[in-house]
Amino acid sequence: MTPSRARATPFSTRDRLTAYLLAAPAGALLVGVALFPILFAAWLSLHRLILILRERRFIGLDNYAYLLHDQRFWTALGNTAYFAVFSVTAELGLGLAIASLLASAAPGQRLLRAAILVPWAIPAAVSGKIWAWLFNPDYGLFTRVLPGSINWLGTPGYAMPAAILVDVWKTVPFVALLIFAALRNIPEDLYRAASLDGASSWRIFRSITLPLLKPTLAVVLVLRTLDAFRVFDAIYVLTAGGPANTTETLAIYTYKTLMDAGDFGYGSTLAIATFLCVLVISIAYLRVLGSEGRA
Amino acid sequence: MRRLGLTLAVVLVVLFCTGPFLWQLLTSLRPENELTSLDFPSSLTLESYRSVLTGRPFARSVLNSFLVASATTATSLFFGATAAFALAKLEIRGQRFFLGMALLASMFPGVAVVSPLYLTVRALGLRDHLLGLVLPYTTFALPMAVWILSGFFRAIPDEIYRAAIIDGCSPFQAFRKIMLPLAAPGLGTTAILLFISSWNEFLYALALTSSARSRTVPVAIGLFSGDHKEPWGEIAAASVVAMLPVILVALVFQRWIAAGLTTSAGKQ
Amino acid sequence: MIPRRRFLAGLGAFALTATGCQRRRQATEGRPPGPIRLVFQHQPFLGDPAPLRRLFTDFERENEGIVIAAELLPSAPGAVHQYYLTALEGGSQDFDVFIIDVIWVAEFARAGWIAELTSAFPPDVLRRDFLPGAASAVIVGDSTFAMPWYVDVGVFYRRSDRVPQAPRTYGEVVAFAREAMPRQASMRGFLWQALQSESLVCNVYEAIWGHGGTTMLGDRVLLDTPEARGALEYLRALVACGVSPLSVTSMAEEESRRVFQAGDAVFMRNWPYAWAEAESPGSPIRGRVGLSALPTVDGAIGRGALGGFQLALNAHTPAWKVDAAHRFIDHLTSPQANLAIALAYGRNPPRAAVYRDPQLLTGAPAIAGLLPLALLAEPRPVTAYYPMFNGTLAAEFSAAVTGVRSPAEALRRAQAEIDHLMREAP
Repeated sequence: MTPSRARATPFSTRDRLTAYLLAAPAGALLVGVALFPILFAAWLSLHRLILILRERRFIGLDNYAYLLHDQRFWTALGNTAYFAVFSVTAELGLGLAIASLLASAAPGQRLLRAAILVPWAIPAAVSGKIWAWLFNPDYGLFTRVLPGSINWLGTPGYAMPAAILVDVWKTVPFVALLIFAALRNIPEDLYRAASLDGASSWRIFRSITLPLLKPTLAVVLVLRTLDAFRVFDAIYVLTAGGPANTTETLAIYTYKTLMDAGDFGYGSTLAIATFLCVLVISIAYLRVLGSEGRA
Repeated sequence: MRRLGLTLAVVLVVLFCTGPFLWQLLTSLRPENELTSLDFPSSLTLESYRSVLTGRPFARSVLNSFLVASATTATSLFFGATAAFALAKLEIRGQRFFLGMALLASMFPGVAVVSPLYLTVRALGLRDHLLGLVLPYTTFALPMAVWILSGFFRAIPDEIYRAAIIDGCSPFQAFRKIMLPLAAPGLGTTAILLFISSWNEFLYALALTSSARSRTVPVAIGLFSGDHKEPWGEIAAASVVAMLPVILVALVFQRWIAAGLTTSAGKQ
Repeated sequence: MIPRRRFLAGLGAFALTATGCQRRRQATEGRPPGPIRLVFQHQPFLGDPAPLRRLFTDFERENEGIVIAAELLPSAPGAVHQYYLTALEGGSQDFDVFIIDVIWVAEFARAGWIAELTSAFPPDVLRRDFLPGAASAVIVGDSTFAMPWYVDVGVFYRRSDRVPQAPRTYGEVVAFAREAMPRQASMRGFLWQALQSESLVCNVYEAIWGHGGTTMLGDRVLLDTPEARGALEYLRALVACGVSPLSVTSMAEEESRRVFQAGDAVFMRNWPYAWAEAESPGSPIRGRVGLSALPTVDGAIGRGALGGFQLALNAHTPAWKVDAAHRFIDHLTSPQANLAIALAYGRNPPRAAVYRDPQLLTGAPAIAGLLPLALLAEPRPVTAYYPMFNGTLAAEFSAAVTGVRSPAEALRRAQAEIDHLMREAP
């Protein structure tokens, strides 16, 4: 049921005007909001600007030259990429499963729909505290339940998976609801016809559901990857970037540079660098997934 | 058998999602000196709740958060839906550019613009004022709304819209009477997303407010801790109280998601 | 469907109107008529708010024409630093007197965010009346930039029923812990704070001083020294050998206190606040806690890290408010105020004489007994750059304690980075 792109009749000027009018407020705001931070940060990144030293001087691209050799930046980038890959994969998989459950004839739909809102509704700082409490090696529930006696949040190598679990827990509801909303858009008739033809559930899922879900999955993939790349709250409250900076993501490094050290020059450079990474990723996604002409 | 499997799945998902929260709820009802015990509390007490609701202006913070989040959601949804509709259906030139801008706007690390944002809000006289939060929140919520909603509007077949036009509706009427109801699932999801993002936002809320009259919930919860001591029982109680309005609002909106195609608009 | 949507739309519009209905604050230029309104921003004192409020009302009564408006800020240091950095850099005049951490005074002074208070509070008077650590924290060069509000010092706790004599050396700590641990199931040895945070930095510096090291040589921060290496090796060994449980690497003050207070540890390093908690009614270890100075490598009295908060004046506060602000700060740091805060909230006074006040001796003897330890409190590196590199310190110390890097390597890296940072400055 692919919508045809051919136009029946051309739109009148009045319609065009209405269209522009409808989109104008948002458009103006968008351009302002989108461009201003980027331009501002880009401008600052060309300076050496350290607040406490009351120093502000133009240094061109020196900050970027430093960035290329900054070990801490590359570590943070690696941590962020690791986090993004695993959390987005987990969220998509779990989200798809939960969305299917929501769309199925399982009992307790009301309870299910209310329950999945809970992780989402908790402020990130509070959920970080709750999970830190659960992961506490001395009085946390997980320590009793999970095998071994690992101090998850205090051991390098284990802290990041713990942070991924917390973030997945928190954002799976959003993914599940988005996919569920898209599932609702698929007409019942398609399923009925397919099952009448004798197709198995898996076959139906693969040949009907997945292709029709593809635009939504693309949206989810882009959104979640962008969010994962900019993750701050979820990890900062849990570990503050530790132990030994093994859970320090780009956002945490940027925040510390800007707000703890007051280095607005290099901090803006880090922000621009994060933005560029995210831009590259989204362009790549949209090229690969937007082949049907959906931008 | 299949039903058993589905029920088990539902139980697992519910446990996974609500487990930590239920543990938090239990903690909020524990007596002070049993906070760290892993056994069932010897008695349940509402002491933490009493302390949260009477000792401080916490209820005020909940109201502030509710107002800010509602205002942000309402404006962003309105302008976002109209813009998304225009982008999706009305063949505007440069729609890719618009959508690109929308995505770009939500991609930038927020912490890098706290400073200029603070100066702007202050210049407008909106520091420590609820509108001083609604303005920045809307500017960040709007791109998200446009991006998500344009996807949903585009998923609605063009024929339905064109049929309405041919029947004599103006674009705006078609938008209101036909497109909006059909896009209800997308609207619902976006509404929940925007509401929750505004409700949970901490960075700008901290920078732009300072007194009880405009303080929101995340900052208020941050006030529970002293310089060393962290009264975990009270924090647990406060987070339970803080979640109730959000869950209520989300429950209201999620009915739109479930509505789907079977609405009064019907199929032409 | 439609009526509900109308209702929700109406709700949204109402919310928008409601948020807009608040009156905006107008920036004032020139002195407005009426009383002088001083805005005081502070972190919450847990407990009864009445004594603190009485301090304000007493001041208002004695100073006609001045009104105090108190506003609360969160306690989390990262959040507070972010708030003040944004506000003060933006030239905010929305608050006048506010509270800053001991490690920020040099930074804020250098940045021009806090006003000089030398005229009202001369340095020599400070050095005479206040604890040496507290005075040194607020005097930058020859000028006073803040006034001490209360102090903190790192102290050593032990279970007096298990270990009657306080350990004086690190060797004794290990030996006594090893002896006491097996006597009770799930008994941990020595709890301290190894979470990658400022708490870890305090713990490491205390160990460095305990090994005979010094913080700075002139203007240079010393890190790559034999004493520092010894200190980190000692701390790493505590974790590796099991004297300290693995969980210390995710412990801040509260986590360690909770375990100690539940009766599950022999020793703990923490701030004095934990004493009041341990002695509160309902505490499982009430009456069985001993407090002493930190141990050292050779048995000398250990110096605890200096903590605490200071009152500062916003540099952008208009000139016509400055005198009122000075009087307010003077009132809040008077001996009577010190005493009131100590008795009501358990905060250690920065004035030396208050420790010998008979009211303190009867009302809060534990605080009065802290004087010898408070006199020895040692500050972390006193430099305007400290907030720029304390993150590096925390990260490298954490790497050493968790075994990611050797202590020597961690210190070498930290030294290199800090030297680079401080050399780069003009």
